[in-house]
Amino acid sequence: MTAESDFGTVAAMRGVQERRDGAVRLAMLLGGTVFVLMMLLGLVMRLAQGGLVEIDAALFYRIMTAHGAGMVGTATLTGATILWFFTNRHVPLLAGVFWAFLGLFLLGVVFILAAIFVGGYGGAWTFLYPLPAMSGGFWQPSAAALFLLGYVSIGVGFLLLHLEVARKLIAAYGGIGGALAWPLAFGRGRPEDAPPAGVVAAMASTIFNVLGIVVGAAVLVASIVNLLVPGFTVDALLAKNMIYFFGHVFINAAIYMGVIAVYEIIPEYTGRPWKTTRAFAIAWTVIMLFTLSVYPHHLMQDLAMPAWTLVMGQLVSYFSGIPLIAVTAFSLLVYIRGADMRWDLASALLVLGVAGWSVGTVPAIIDGMIVVNKVMHNTQWVPGHFHTYLLLGEVAMAFGFMAWLTRAPAAQERPGAARLTGADRLLFLTYAVGGTGFVLVFLVAGALSVPRRWAVHATQWMPLAQAASVFAALVILAVTVFVLRYLSGLIRQRS
Amino acid sequence: MHMMVLGVSLAFMALIAVTFILVARARPPRSDANRSEARRRQLIWAMVIFGVVVSVASLARWPHAVSAAPTEVVNVTGTQWYWEIDRTEVPQGVPVLFSAKTTDVTHGFGVVDEKGRILFQAQVIPGYENKVEYNFDEPGIYKVICLEFCGVAHHEMVNEFIVAAR
Repeated sequence: MTAESDFGTVAAMRGVQERRDGAVRLAMLLGGTVFVLMMLLGLVMRLAQGGLVEIDAALFYRIMTAHGAGMVGTATLTGATILWFFTNRHVPLLAGVFWAFLGLFLLGVVFILAAIFVGGYGGAWTFLYPLPAMSGGFWQPSAAALFLLGYVSIGVGFLLLHLEVARKLIAAYGGIGGALAWPLAFGRGRPEDAPPAGVVAAMASTIFNVLGIVVGAAVLVASIVNLLVPGFTVDALLAKNMIYFFGHVFINAAIYMGVIAVYEIIPEYTGRPWKTTRAFAIAWTVIMLFTLSVYPHHLMQDLAMPAWTLVMGQLVSYFSGIPLIAVTAFSLLVYIRGADMRWDLASALLVLGVAGWSVGTVPAIIDGMIVVNKVMHNTQWVPGHFHTYLLLGEVAMAFGFMAWLTRAPAAQERPGAARLTGADRLLFLTYAVGGTGFVLVFLVAGALSVPRRWAVHATQWMPLAQAASVFAALVILAVTVFVLRYLSGLIRQRS
Repeated sequence: MHMMVLGVSLAFMALIAVTFILVARARPPRSDANRSEARRRQLIWAMVIFGVVVSVASLARWPHAVSAAPTEVVNVTGTQWYWEIDRTEVPQGVPVLFSAKTTDVTHGFGVVDEKGRILFQAQVIPGYENKVEYNFDEPGIYKVICLEFCGVAHHEMVNEFIVAAR
């Protein structure tokens, strides 16, 4: 083969890779843009609770529904895109599947937006049965059905994506156990023969997200039938179990898929690969089991639940923190400490993502204690902890991945050339300080017994919402610049 | 309890955040793989032991325990968007059993003291009798609020009852 044909082959392969990556870049652009829009909706809610703008309760709850569904969907979209991108490095995936996933996702978004802003649906993203069918006259069953069909469309897209990932990983690594590094976990394999860290995380996330989506699909279909045929009813506690199983697994999958970016990218900055050790392999199997069994911590005030399920929820909630803190966070700190770490916006955001996730588990675990949950459940403590590990966790990882995708050419050639410029530092600090202030206000409000999901706040609570609005504005400023930087990076790369 | 929960949470959150900041700023790089693995094992064992102790302590008395033969019973019914309570007054210093039902969707039966602190709550699931017991230490006027989103006037679902001094 001549040098010229070599060059032609490499160029053709790069063309194929860029087309594949093009879908990923587009998905992240959509994700980043929707994050900004959903944050704006969040700001409107905090301004309304602070008495700084006036909106009627029906509109508030529609905005709340859009914000919840939009944020959960977009977090999982960006997490799944990260999973797809890095899995594609290890096994070739069918690009068409990702386009189908993206198409079904967008179709679902259209349904959901139409249901909320045309049909008037405002039953929260959790569609807690039988609320979608009992609006008190504020929306029609058809609007609720359209909202739930939007979820079905998005869920089918995720199933397609995960099945393609599972199919290829199972074939390449000799089964589910091989892709989960079970030979190493059970002491029969060597670390050098184990799959890469990103593959183990992709396989585990795929398994639990598929199970979550299947259960979610069952309760969605039951709820849709209930809307169309009111005589068909479901046990409300069973439906709630299914909804929270699905919801918990789905949003956790977003973070567990997002952390694949940390496993795959941070080694470029430390110069040391993220190894699949025995502890890592065991941790991911434990994560998979814990993610599937912890959801009763959402039902701790459901007194009809069997007591053992609530005890399990409390115990698993606490022990879920161990794989995160002692394996992922600890390993990240060891890698950083042992390296002449080069910081740029991408690496700073990815590390912030793991830090925010780890920090956010503290108030979550404490709320997972039944005795604490009795006074903190459904107060603003809850958005306090989930915003910590989403806003400062998964979302930071997603923007870190976007910054890495569009990093400067010198940094792409040689990661050691990465630099955190003064402007980047200011941008990063704006995001981190804004995000930290925003979540701390929620936590303080929770400790003061301010309920979550109230359109109208008492006068004495308003200063908290006003302070949160300032911090939210800082976050929105930072993420708007993140998205614009990403867009200009894409344009620069194309030219 | 509320402020203690906040304080403990903030302390552990700060500990993790400061650890990340110190490691990110540490110079020069240092690494000792064996020492790191030993520290990881210590961390895992410390977390396991701490978790077992806290779990046992917090579950030793079942937080949802109710009396077998309660003397003071209050029936509460949630409907979009109001609470019906069959008694306006309960005594201080004895266990009061609240039996909560709903006529439509899921509500969250939450009781708030005069300082605005949530004392306890229970999800009110359609088709179930949801029982929760509480012993009021202080006399006064207590509010009942809704702590599960139930539709457009969820935040207006407020009622109250009196705890009478004994």
